[in-house]
Amino acid sequence: MVSPIHIITIGLGLAFALGLLQGFGKNFSGILMLLGVAAMGFISFQWLVAFFTSGSTSEIFTAGFKPPYSINLMMGKHEAVLASMVNLVGLLGGIYLWDTLKKQGFHAMLVYLVFIMGMNIMIMTRDAFNLFVFMEVVSIATAGLVILEQNNKSVQAGFKYMIATSVIAGLFLMGIIFSYYFAATLNIDGLANANLLAIKGGSLAIFLVLISIILELKPFPANGWALDVYHAATPGVSALISAASATAMYFVFYKVLGIVGDSWSQVIAAIGLLTFVGSNLLGTKQDNPNRLLGYSSIGQMGLLMAILGFRPFLGEKLEFIAFTILLTHYLAKAGLFWLAGIIKSENLKGFAALRKKPFMLFLFGTFVFALIGFPPFPSFFGKWELVMHLANGHMYGWMFAVLLGSFFEGIYLFRWLGYSIKIDHLALPDFKVDWNKIIPVGIFAIGLYVAGYFTSGFAEGGTAINFIPLFFVAFLLMIDFLPIIIKNTISIAAIAWYSFSILPPLYEHDMLRFIFAGIFLIGGGLTLIAGYAYKGKRPGFYPVALLMYVGLAQIIEAQNMLHFFFGWEIMTAGSYFLIIRGKRSMPHGLSYMLFSIGGAYALLAGFGMAHAGQASLSLDVLANVSQNVSWIFGLLAVGFLTKTASLGLHIWLPGAHGEAESDVSPMVSAILLKAGVFGLVILMIAMGHHPEAANIAYILGWLGALTALAGNLGATFQEDAKRLLAYSSIAQLGYILFALSIMTHLGWLTAFTYSINHFMYKAILFLTIGAVVLRVGTHNMYEMGGLIKRMPFAFIAVLIGIIALSGVPPLSGFAGKWLFYNAVIDKGWYFQGAIVFFSGTIAFLYLFKLIYSVFLGQLKDNHRQVKEISVWFIIPIYVLIIGIMIFSAKPQWVLQPLGEMITSWYPNGGLQWDGGLATSALGYWNGSGIMISIVIMFALLLSWLLVMSRKAQKVEQFNIVYSAERPFRPETTHVSYNIYAGYNKALGFLVTPVIAAFWDSMDNLVHSVAGFFRKIYSGNGQVYVAHVVLFVVVVYFFAIA
Amino acid sequence: MDFDLTKLLFTLLGLLIVLNWGILMSGIIRKIGARVAKRYGIPVYQGWIDLIKNYAIRSQITHGIMFYLGPVFRLSGGVGLFLFMPMIFGSEHWSNYSFQGDLILLMYFQFFGMLGMALGAGEGGHPNSAIGISRGLSQFTTIEVPMTLAVIAIAIQYHTLSIADIVAAQQGSILNWTVFTNPFATVAAMLSVLGAFGHSPFNLVKAPNEIPIGPPTEYHGTFLGVLRTNAAILHVIEAVLFMNLFFGGASNWFELFLKSFLIYFWSVFVGMVFPRFRIEQSVRWFLKIPTLLGIIAIILA
Repeated sequence: MVSPIHIITIGLGLAFALGLLQGFGKNFSGILMLLGVAAMGFISFQWLVAFFTSGSTSEIFTAGFKPPYSINLMMGKHEAVLASMVNLVGLLGGIYLWDTLKKQGFHAMLVYLVFIMGMNIMIMTRDAFNLFVFMEVVSIATAGLVILEQNNKSVQAGFKYMIATSVIAGLFLMGIIFSYYFAATLNIDGLANANLLAIKGGSLAIFLVLISIILELKPFPANGWALDVYHAATPGVSALISAASATAMYFVFYKVLGIVGDSWSQVIAAIGLLTFVGSNLLGTKQDNPNRLLGYSSIGQMGLLMAILGFRPFLGEKLEFIAFTILLTHYLAKAGLFWLAGIIKSENLKGFAALRKKPFMLFLFGTFVFALIGFPPFPSFFGKWELVMHLANGHMYGWMFAVLLGSFFEGIYLFRWLGYSIKIDHLALPDFKVDWNKIIPVGIFAIGLYVAGYFTSGFAEGGTAINFIPLFFVAFLLMIDFLPIIIKNTISIAAIAWYSFSILPPLYEHDMLRFIFAGIFLIGGGLTLIAGYAYKGKRPGFYPVALLMYVGLAQIIEAQNMLHFFFGWEIMTAGSYFLIIRGKRSMPHGLSYMLFSIGGAYALLAGFGMAHAGQASLSLDVLANVSQNVSWIFGLLAVGFLTKTASLGLHIWLPGAHGEAESDVSPMVSAILLKAGVFGLVILMIAMGHHPEAANIAYILGWLGALTALAGNLGATFQEDAKRLLAYSSIAQLGYILFALSIMTHLGWLTAFTYSINHFMYKAILFLTIGAVVLRVGTHNMYEMGGLIKRMPFAFIAVLIGIIALSGVPPLSGFAGKWLFYNAVIDKGWYFQGAIVFFSGTIAFLYLFKLIYSVFLGQLKDNHRQVKEISVWFIIPIYVLIIGIMIFSAKPQWVLQPLGEMITSWYPNGGLQWDGGLATSALGYWNGSGIMISIVIMFALLLSWLLVMSRKAQKVEQFNIVYSAERPFRPETTHVSYNIYAGYNKALGFLVTPVIAAFWDSMDNLVHSVAGFFRKIYSGNGQVYVAHVVLFVVVVYFFAIA
Repeated sequence: MDFDLTKLLFTLLGLLIVLNWGILMSGIIRKIGARVAKRYGIPVYQGWIDLIKNYAIRSQITHGIMFYLGPVFRLSGGVGLFLFMPMIFGSEHWSNYSFQGDLILLMYFQFFGMLGMALGAGEGGHPNSAIGISRGLSQFTTIEVPMTLAVIAIAIQYHTLSIADIVAAQQGSILNWTVFTNPFATVAAMLSVLGAFGHSPFNLVKAPNEIPIGPPTEYHGTFLGVLRTNAAILHVIEAVLFMNLFFGGASNWFELFLKSFLIYFWSVFVGMVFPRFRIEQSVRWFLKIPTLLGIIAIILA
């Protein structure tokens, strides 16, 4: 075992050697420097391994004396881990900076080496003054690195950095001097034992030590100097500052807290969270990548600081939480800075250039998702545990602040990601990718996945997570270069295999999950079939599509809240990438994501509050919650309602579904929305155990009814066929929400009937319209018309779809309507019910418009040669039609098992079945009988007409009697645009987009607040120092008060 | 479902009666309308003449399959409503196939014919068809609001959605009729029926004077015959529905003829007096007083 002291000897020795050996050339010097960092890394890593294999640690006493007479260094678990991290990023960062360092020569390399070494000592030292010295060393080295690329900006920034850090160092030194005065030792452990707080004046000493370390962590708003550094330094250096310096300084903070004790925890938590929220808020106004990453770095350090402030509440999970978030920050932020250095764009939009290199785009996406705390990355588990513990300690205010800060972070990171994936009309800047620059990025990205996998096991309930499907997604990613036919077949086979393994046992044991698994998996398989219609490779489609289905499957499999949330986030990530694939989907992808993470945080908070005080993490604890019941259910409801796009939270849906690709729309509409329904069912099962939750159900009932009305009215005034269907989905999900909220046997039967029906007919409609759009190249219905002549199969599909959706007998939609009336009257929700029925009639308006404008009326000249929709769309569509027909002819096959299932929650008030005849307390209905009667009658009447009009002659398109003239232009003859003008005049005021305006104003508010406060960063070094001093004064008065 | 020939024959006979009564009723009404307008008017048997003439026309054109199916949907809708409607109270034979579904089935089956016809006319490609349908559907959405409220009110009142049971509950005395026991629901529904029958002031949908072309012109010959047949049946059935729900049903055919005539005449009577609404006016109108009455009916129930 090599003694940790050699980290110093190697660092210092090589630093001298570099000067002596400079004659051997820059390459030699560079390699020597890298070898030095590697050697330091080897030593720290060796101690890391040693600790985990044999638990051995090392303590070094310099000069042969023990403290307090000498400086001692420690190499324990924490030190080994953190030093290894610092050295790893030092090594990779050095490789990354190879060209820059080489250009500047051996001086720069020397500085680099000392920089890394200094951080190692900061981590290892147990002596306060030694700490001060090496903080100064690192500070000077940092300033040296900042001006590696010398320009006006970087020199200024380096200077500001020096001014600020010297002020901070002065405070720190004073603190140390006072401490020494009171405790007569400089040893950190000695200071910790001295109980300085008990000594008069000791608290000032502690305050100065603490505040200076806090200032080194760049607290909001006294951090302008640091932002300018991030902004001005070359990104390779910013990566080091963000990943290495911050890691080392964080550990210093941790050590200092040993002296401070817990009494300052609240202050630390407050400063940390203020930094996290404030920095991320201001980040929303940034458009420079480096500066944005600076804001994000500072925000993350704020969160980490707050975590140490929460120390008393986190118990034994403190290390896990802090480490996972730190590690994610370390890997992702370094990766992002490095990427920024490759792209070299001054504007976030320039990252669109990444599209030219999909692998790098993938890396970028990985870092963004990791930073926000998506699974499977470590911070997901860290944030989960953090929220759980905060909730358990009833620290709800803190918990919401953490989530708010994360949300702000999501705003700018996902906007940035959206730019890189989709922004249009931009000349994509060219950039060069050197191997030495991309390899570090790749290693850190892989590191995130590996770390995520291993950290999952340490989170409570994390072992339940099934990672195998995610490995399959990774496999799909690796074979992404193959043609569609292979990838599609593999994907379908995987879903089929999974279905066969999961559906039969679920059918036996868990009907509820069977239904939703059926929708997710059968729907998934069917919609994937349509993928064969596409040509080429369709890069990136299959991994993300399967990612979504994996998430959905995990939701089904989940028995505990962590697993459920894991699946929920995986599904969100997959669906985000699916949605943003659409041509004009960039803004819709962002709004989908923001609503999704907002919803997810509501879920997280709800789960946390539900878990508080309960031993189990199982989903069943929702039923046993005893305090904050309304909050818990309210938060969970909001979380699920964002996914079902209920009124108020719906504005993301029309664009997201409308602009998605043809086979993606049915996936995200017919299938994905049911995840929200599944969540609502889980929630309402729990609510059923709490009579006081009836109020929430009542509100949800009204919300569902109004959603149905707004959705259908919105659909009526659409000209875009896919948006029309998207609005229709909003409404249909409103029906389902309404029916679930009724919370009776019939209500739930209605809801499940609607869920199954909506899955089938919305998949049919979206697939068909999507396929039509692929043929005709427009979404605008008024640009279509008369397509029945060219696409009879598509027409029949839409016909069946709209009859089923509208609820006209004999198709299965009527089952839903009939149950609805019974449920509503049974429950006594007459007025909400009347609104829902009114919405149902409005559905006729848009359904007619859809089928008429697209398929009937006048065929356009440019569509005369258009072909029938692809057979690969027809297959799944007609399979679903068969499904609808079976459900329509034999509704009892579905409704009876559903009724039996619901009996376990609502034993009374179900239907009586006598063959096909269903009887409720109010009425009766025989689906099979009606089907037979209508089919026979229809056939008889048709035959009669056929006999009577057997000589009917088919005429040309314009052979109509039209005001004594014959029209010849389909465009002027096809009435479609604004066809419901009269209706719009009467009721159009109801669809005034007030909700969209509300969210717009919220958006503006966030950005204007951010824009206002951003002005404190004037760029003036003196002002920044004033910030630092003011910050100290304000915190002092607050803390002492 | 066991096949019952007697039932089938009775049902067919009933259909024949309803058809002929519908033609006659329509003739009488048109005659009355003409006299009110100081015209001589058509003979009351004009309906039969039209029907025979239409079915006999040989040259016919079609615009495509959906165009062809439109009238089939339409007539199936009318006949279906008849099938699922109990006609004569207490009569097994004249209750048709109403055992297959209740009031909700009837309410939603109305759409079957409308939708099919709308699609058929749509394929005809005539701009006026689309305009007419869009108006019709617009108006229909709000016609249904007071109607739905009324239906909910009587379902609360009688604790059933079965039409036969609703009729049964109104027997005994004229005062047991819904019109007396639940006047608000009845008025709401009777205002709603004005729209359903499509006479003035709610006849912009067909716009009989201004748009003398469109669907009826495109659909000629047998197609028109089918549509006229359906119209005759539908008018009676809709009136019978209101008779069953609000006016005590009918215990014999004569009572049915009388009540259905009066109910249908109500809409004609209003139409003679009031001028036509624009579509946005009629859409709004149904959401005002009729809806308010429906809400009152529910609050009282």
